Amino acid sequence: MRDLAKARNIGISAHIDSGKTTLTERILFYTQRIHAIHEVRGKDGVGATMDSMELERERGITIASAATYCDWKGYSINIIDTPGHVDFTIEVERALRVLDGAILVLCSVGGVQSQSITVNRQMTRYRVPRIAFINKCDRTGANPDRVTQQLRDKLNLNGVAVQMPIGLEADLAGVVDLVRMKALYFEGDNGEIIREAEIPANLREEAESKRETLLDAASMFSDELMEAVLEGNPSEEMIRAAIRKGTLSLELTPVLMGSAYKNKGVQVLLDAVAAYLPSPTEVTNYALDLDHEEVEVQVTNNPNDPTVALAFKLEDGRYGQLTYLRTYQGTLNKGDTIVNARTGKKLKIGRLVRMHANTMEDIEASWAGDIVALFGVDCASGDTFTDGKINYSMSSMHVPAPVISLAIKPIDNKAQVNMSKALNRFTKEDPTFKTFVDGETNETIISGMGELHLDVYVERMKREYKAVVEVGAPRVAYREAITQRADFNYTHKKQTGGSGQFGRVAGYMEPLEEGEYEFVDKIVGGVIPREFISSCDKGFHKAKEKGVLIGAPITGVRCVINDGAAHSVDSSDVAFQQAALGAFREGYLKAQPVILEPIMKVAVEGPTEFQGSVMGSINQRRGMIIGTTEEDEYTVVEAEVPLSEMFGYSTDLRSLTQGKAEFTMEFATYRPVPKSVAEQLIAEFKKEKEKK
Amino acid sequence: MLKQELIAKNPIRHLNSGADGNISSRMGLVISRAGLGKTAILVQIALDSLLNGKQIIHVSIGQSLEKTRVWYDDIFKDIAEGCKLSNPYEIYDEIMRNRMIMTFKESSFSRSRLEERLNDLIYQNIIRPGCMVVDGYDFATADRRIFEDLREMARTMDLQIWFSAVSHQDDQRTSPEGVPAPCHEIADLFDTVVVLEPSSGSECIDLNIIKDTAGNVAGGLFLQLDTITFMIKEGCR
Repeated sequence: MRDLAKARNIGISAHIDSGKTTLTERILFYTQRIHAIHEVRGKDGVGATMDSMELERERGITIASAATYCDWKGYSINIIDTPGHVDFTIEVERALRVLDGAILVLCSVGGVQSQSITVNRQMTRYRVPRIAFINKCDRTGANPDRVTQQLRDKLNLNGVAVQMPIGLEADLAGVVDLVRMKALYFEGDNGEIIREAEIPANLREEAESKRETLLDAASMFSDELMEAVLEGNPSEEMIRAAIRKGTLSLELTPVLMGSAYKNKGVQVLLDAVAAYLPSPTEVTNYALDLDHEEVEVQVTNNPNDPTVALAFKLEDGRYGQLTYLRTYQGTLNKGDTIVNARTGKKLKIGRLVRMHANTMEDIEASWAGDIVALFGVDCASGDTFTDGKINYSMSSMHVPAPVISLAIKPIDNKAQVNMSKALNRFTKEDPTFKTFVDGETNETIISGMGELHLDVYVERMKREYKAVVEVGAPRVAYREAITQRADFNYTHKKQTGGSGQFGRVAGYMEPLEEGEYEFVDKIVGGVIPREFISSCDKGFHKAKEKGVLIGAPITGVRCVINDGAAHSVDSSDVAFQQAALGAFREGYLKAQPVILEPIMKVAVEGPTEFQGSVMGSINQRRGMIIGTTEEDEYTVVEAEVPLSEMFGYSTDLRSLTQGKAEFTMEFATYRPVPKSVAEQLIAEFKKEKEKK
Repeated sequence: MLKQELIAKNPIRHLNSGADGNISSRMGLVISRAGLGKTAILVQIALDSLLNGKQIIHVSIGQSLEKTRVWYDDIFKDIAEGCKLSNPYEIYDEIMRNRMIMTFKESSFSRSRLEERLNDLIYQNIIRPGCMVVDGYDFATADRRIFEDLREMARTMDLQIWFSAVSHQDDQRTSPEGVPAPCHEIADLFDTVVVLEPSSGSECIDLNIIKDTAGNVAGGLFLQLDTITFMIKEGCR
């Protein structure tokens, strides 16, 4: 059984290109999970072990996080490698949701970049204790002191260096451990031999000063250490215990440094993971008791209690769906029957595996605190599994709403079939990726978190499913509506050739406050025979499908009929449908129709310094700012903005805020477009009609 | 009832826009112990300005944007229902375009930050407020200079600024005009001061206008806050 006190579930998160995949690769090497190192963009063409998807290898970025585990000095460590690009934050969030601690990787040259800020905020949201690793200290311009200061200034973290570099840039030779006051050099072909030595004389003074800073910060979390520092004899254990306490309370962030690429500092980082990051028992997690009005219940981490496990990631592989699970309490055994709390469905655990990037290892059981994968389990991401003795659900994950949509069209029938398969899989795997068929245009619409997000899925469709699709420009679904009551009285008469058609429909139409359409029959005396009343309804229905202004569907209209006429021979269902259609069109123009556009509720979140620019950008897009919420150095601007103005906003926002702000939007309501926009839309519609 | 009638009959007009609707620059203060309805009064003052076609900024310190928004929704709904306002949705939509809520955490609010935000808004022509209400400001730590600056800002921008302040029963200090602590030392900077006190004869809250230097408030005016609806009404002594 896994010794929980010696278990660590950690994530590695950072800005793109900070080198976290390289770092993971080195971790796997030093923990002997892999026996050779492959670089992300290596000449050997193998790619890094964690970048398992072809596309990831090609682009040198990590798209889907892969889980792996390793052993380090008696500690068993589960690692989730997470993507760095902002468009894939759901992966980061999912990983953080199930992890107990994290390594925040920063580039010693680039420092704290936008994605580091976003990731850090996500870590704070899920209360994930973290340690920072300043990577790439071998690069020109490396400055770990500046990055440590940025941790304080930009991320509001109490970042305290527990190491200092020995040399920088091309001269990087190793690190000084400020806890033990020893110099560490990483030798051998792959830095696997650690040589411990005295601190070089030229660095001694600086090391003393930095250790003092470290002791000052750490002693805030331990009276014992504070006393020992005053007496001048703090022990290594005391210092580590205090740093650990500060880290677990999220009030201290130990900062380590090195260069994963140059094989420097990785083993000591693993030591720090063991020393400072929490075990599953040290983190409080809550489930919702579905039998008791979703009361929050603390999960126990006890392997003997009823099982509670959360499916946090799905992947479709060669052997069917692979479901990544985090067990919060109880034990999962091969052959056990578990229940999906959402659907109530029972299922049997056929194969239980421990993942190592895209290879796996069969195991018999998984205990509380573990991260494992199941085969062939039908579920969605975020589902909770229990052994049926309790009805718990782990609190739901924060899923940002999609912000961009595109129309896609398969190029042939084969592509059509493959596209459906691909979309089915992607939507199951990724809750931020949505798809639907537009009832009006019959196009398949995909929506997601950004242009790159959708681009990657379109590419994956092509590569993995051989579904080639044409990508269209995103479109806004406009509507038309009337603004005042108008009467109609229309006679449909056709007496040329064959049997004649006759029907007269009179009444009025008026705006409907709620709902799309209402038909009211106020006919008395049978002026329109009973059997043709529904024909009138059908006619109105047909009429409202396309408005006359821009051909958009008409919404919010009540049609009342109160008079009419019929002919004993020439009246028919078709005749009254035509009469109603004509009556609708007659009344419609008199009822002052307007064009409505979807209005989105938009929330832009970013550093306060950009608040002015963000508000300006919303104002330029015909947005109505509802308000702002300032919290520490972050501000959320809430606004209502027409959807048509939101295309390209993610790109604009990024350039406006140096990529430091992000936004979410959801549908709020339909509102009339301003006159100038309406005129433009009408002109475009006419032009298109003439073309046809 | 039409919008114009509502403006003319709204009892809060005596405090805010004046009986003839021509009050512009002013510093106002609504003070009481906690839970007597200060926010409700500030929201009604803001709504009166909005109905008069002014743009307003509601600065809320320590309260969420959503909560502040709900205050407006509820009070407008009560006003609309109470006076059977015709086309209330249209009016609400129209006036809400002129309202902006800014919420701050207590720890992150400062005058310089507020000024920076206002400059952002005005410079970019996003909003040009005629009225600003500041709810939740901690006067216990207030600096006189801040209020002198704000007063100057109100004058130059032709702006009415209304504050709410919490008084404490155990702090008996007052200014010569009777403005309770913690605002007693800066009472001279306010043109109008309203103290909320539970009415002795009813379940209402009395709005005691203890200071009105500009003489804008009609003499003998007696306003009360209904504790059930949180609406201001003209009371009778």
